[in-house]
Formats: sequence, C-alpha cells, structure tokens
Amino acid sequence: MKKKQKIAQRHKISFKLNSKDVSCDVKASAVLMDVIRDVLELKGTKPGCREGECGACTVLINGSPINSCLFLAINAEGKKITTIEGLTKEDGSLDIVQHELVQHGAVQCGFCTSGMAMSIKGLMNQHEKSNRGAGKNKKGQPSREEIKKHLEGNLCRCTGYVKIIDATEKLFVKEK
Amino acid sequence: MDFKITSPKNKAGLLKAMQEGKNFRFGAGYTDLLMELKKQEETSFTIINLAQLNDKTFTEINTISGGLRIGSLATAAEIVNDKFITQHFPALQEAAHSLASSQIREVATIGGNLCTASPSGDMACALMALEAQCEILSANGKTRTVPISGFFTGPRKTVLQKKEVLRSVLVPLLEKNRKLHSGFIKVGTRRSMECSVVSLAYHIHLDRNDSIVHAGVAIGASAPTIRFAKTACDLISGNNLKTISQKDKEEFAAKVVSYASPITDIRATAWYRKEVLFNISKSIFE
Ligand SMILES: Cc1cc2nc3c(=O)[nH]c(=O)nc-3n(C[C@H](O)[C@H](O)[C@H](O)COP(=O)(O)OP(=O)(O)OC[C@H]3O[C@@H](n4cnc5c(N)ncnc54)[C@H](O)[C@@H]3O)c2cc1C
Ligand code: FES
Ligand code: FES
Repeated sequence: MKKKQKIAQRHKISFKLNSKDVSCDVKASAVLMDVIRDVLELKGTKPGCREGECGACTVLINGSPINSCLFLAINAEGKKITTIEGLTKEDGSLDIVQHELVQHGAVQCGFCTSGMAMSIKGLMNQHEKSNRGAGKNKKGQPSREEIKKHLEGNLCRCTGYVKIIDATEKLFVKEK
Repeated sequence: MDFKITSPKNKAGLLKAMQEGKNFRFGAGYTDLLMELKKQEETSFTIINLAQLNDKTFTEINTISGGLRIGSLATAAEIVNDKFITQHFPALQEAAHSLASSQIREVATIGGNLCTASPSGDMACALMALEAQCEILSANGKTRTVPISGFFTGPRKTVLQKKEVLRSVLVPLLEKNRKLHSGFIKVGTRRSMECSVVSLAYHIHLDRNDSIVHAGVAIGASAPTIRFAKTACDLISGNNLKTISQKDKEEFAAKVVSYASPITDIRATAWYRKEVLFNISKSIFE
C-alpha cells in the first residue's frame, strides 16, 4: 500500500481522439488501450493478447496502425488517434472499409474485426500518402501478397483470412 | 506494473535527466521494454522516455560524408520506406521489413533493436553485416563511437555504460555506385512474427565483372550475440559471384556455420538451426 502510492505519478495528457480534443489524467504505466476503453469508454478497441501479437487492439496514430496494448498513453500527447468508433461517419453510416468487410462476409465472431478494419484503413492511408505528389511514379494497388504482409499482425481465428483479403483488394480497386 | 517516467523534450533536458538520474532505463518504442516491465510488480528505476525527444541527431536519417547517419529513434517503418536505404543498404531495408508486424514496425526503433541486444534482433543483424558504427552520447555531453562488432558484449548486454545513451548509427557507404548483392534472410516458425530460428544478413560489393570486392555477412539467433562471419567473408573475397564453385559455396557456408553455437529450445533444435544456416548461407549465391 504505502510503497505503491509513492510511485503512482499521474500525468495529464491531451490528444485528439476521433477528431475530438480529449484530455485525461493517467498513470505513467497506463497503455493507450486501457485509457481508450476504461477512461474514455470506447469499447470497440479489443484487448486480445496484450502482447503485440494479435492486433485486436489496433488503432491509428496520425493515420498509421499501432498496437494500443504496447503503446504508453503518455506518448499519445498531441497526437491524432483514430479508433473503430472514429471510422463510422457522423451520420452513423459505415466507412468503406467496414462496408467492404460486411459485403464480403469477412466478419464471423467479430473479435478481430475492429483491429482488422483499422489495420486496413492504415494501409489505405499509407498508400494514399506515398502516392501524394508522386506524379507518374504512383504505386499501383497492393498485391495480395502485400496485403497479407500488411495484415500479418492481425490474427483471426474464424474466417481463414481469404474474405478479409478479398475485401481489402476490392477497396483498392474502388480507390482508383 | 508501475514506474516513474520523465519525458525530456530536447537534448539539454535529456542530459539533465541522465545526470540527475540514479537508477534509470531508457524507453523508445517500448515494444521490448513494456513486455519486460509487465512481468514486474514494481520497478526501482525511473524511465527516461525518449519518445518525445525532439532532436534531429536522434530522430532523423541523413546522408553524411562517407555514409548514412540513422538516428536511434528512427522506426523500422521509416527505414523500410527510406529510398536511400532501399537503394544502398538493401540488407537493412529487408531486415526492417521482416521485423514483427506493420503495427510494431511503426513504433519499434532501430536503437531499441540494438540496445535490447537480442541475438535475434533483425535490424541489428543487418547493421552488423553493414559494419555500422554506434554513436554513444554520455551524460556529460561527450560522444564516443564504437564499431558494432564491439557493441554487444553478451546476450542482452552492450558496451553502454550507466550514463550513456545510443544516439545514432553510422552506416558506411564504400562507394556510391558499386554493384551490390545485399539482402536479409530469416527463417522463423510463424511468418515474420516471433523470434527467428536463424537469420543471415549479407552485403556484398561487386566490381563491374561481378567479382567480390568486399563482403559483410552476419548471423542472428545462432549464438549468444549476433556475429560477423569474418573468415567466411575473407574466403569469398576476390571470387566471382556468378561463377563461384559449388565447393567454395559449401566452404563458405561451413565457415558461416562455424560462428554459430545454437541452442535447442522450444522453437528449434541446435542441429536444425545449423542445417538451416548452412543451407541459407549457400543460397545467397543462387
Ligand atoms: C510481437 C512482437 C514481435 C517482435 N518481432 C521481432 C522481430 O521479428 N525481429 C526483431 O528484431 N524484434 C522483434 N521484436 C522485438 C522489438 O520489437 C524490437 O527489438 C524493437 O526494435 C525494439 O525497439 P523499441 O524502440 O520498441 O525498444 P524499447 O522497448 O523502447 O527498448 C528496448 C531496450 O533498449 C533500451 N533502449 C532503447 N533505446 C535506447 C537508446 N537510444 N539508448 C540506450 N538504450 C536504449 C531500452 O532501455 C530497453 O532496454 C518483437 C516484439 C514484439 C512485441
Ligand atoms: S491486444 Fe494488442 S496485439 Fe493483442
Ligand atoms: S472473425 Fe472471429 S477472430 Fe476474426
């Protein structure tokens, strides 16, 4: 008891969560996933392995996917965080990533899905970013192999991945 | 898990934290550190958080005379996407690309990969083949440079002293338009996640006729530390990459394997590791 209280050092952090400014008080050791779920009460980000293996906790930081279970909340300071709740549009309609996953029947139990969707969104963001101002040297749509490689950090125990990859491929065809 | 943390924003703040701190550890991308800390109830040390440090020598990748300086806080994702690295140091680009998953590459730093001193560190293995130099900054503001061959002193051990931090790595560029044969091979149990069973980085400079001018070969996950296979490199120097004989290839592979002292563990037996290492060593000529 006594010892623990001595250590407990609180930090005030502010960042953008799904386009809204938020601030909160966190322990130094708090990981972003727990802050998102327990303090900010957005439960779409899923706790799976808590070891960086499964990807269920994937969120975007400044547009790129990270494991929120291995990310210190204090390092979210000043950053833009997007969770699955932030993908859905204001009017409640689905983002194209969510739409394609549904259309392809790429969701079974759904536990991996929010992380999967964020990871796919991250790939789209990165693709768009590297093509911005690339002129003629624009990258074509990613191959199935590249999609698989990108989704390596997202485990799914149900679907066998094929439909998830199909859905992702379709997104890039649409993008053009 | 609980700890104290301090987040210096610039070099002066970092040096101050290092001078004043009695018992501290650094944190960069935390992909190794958090796993380690999660196993402990309480920690007696403070963490000096490098993630908010705004200092170019720590964060940027820049060409310098004679090569490239990579800040210790450069992430695997930044290395994967760097055009200069892709062109001149394919072994490093491929190693960074094979590390963990896209989510982890986004935060895992090259400095963390070196300082954690795991025998299976992927970027560390490539840097060994590239004969990089480590630039170390001490709390008094002085820097020293250590060749990577002297950086690892044992499993999870480095030459870093108590009040020292890894600032950057320097990768020498022998000659700008040299032909290269450079890459990274990793054999793992499940895709690229998890530690590798064995890994091999090679960076071979060729002349116009494909004769080997200089070779750098390093192995990972095969000994207590990553190792530079010096005698194997010497053996193939002067040979022609395209016409090297089967006998020389096998002799080269045997020399590479002689640097390995693999263990039998949950992932593979020592025998299997040696076999794999022999075969991938040979395969770099094919
Ligand atoms: C699921 C998973 C899969 C992984 N797969 C791989 C893999 O395939 N290949 C691989 O090589 N690694 C892998 N790793 C390990 C890890 O991601 C890498 O070693 C990574 O590069 C560590 O960098 P970091 O910035 O996260 O380090 P941190 O965790 O922040 O730090 C690691 C260590 O280095 C010290 N340190 C960090 N920076 C400095 C510095 N500048 N100066 C002095 N000390 C410093 C810290 O004190 C700590 O002891 C994996 C990890 C996980 C969780
Ligand atoms: S919960 Fe974060 S990767 Fe599994
Ligand atoms: S749908 Fe069940 S884990 Fe992916």
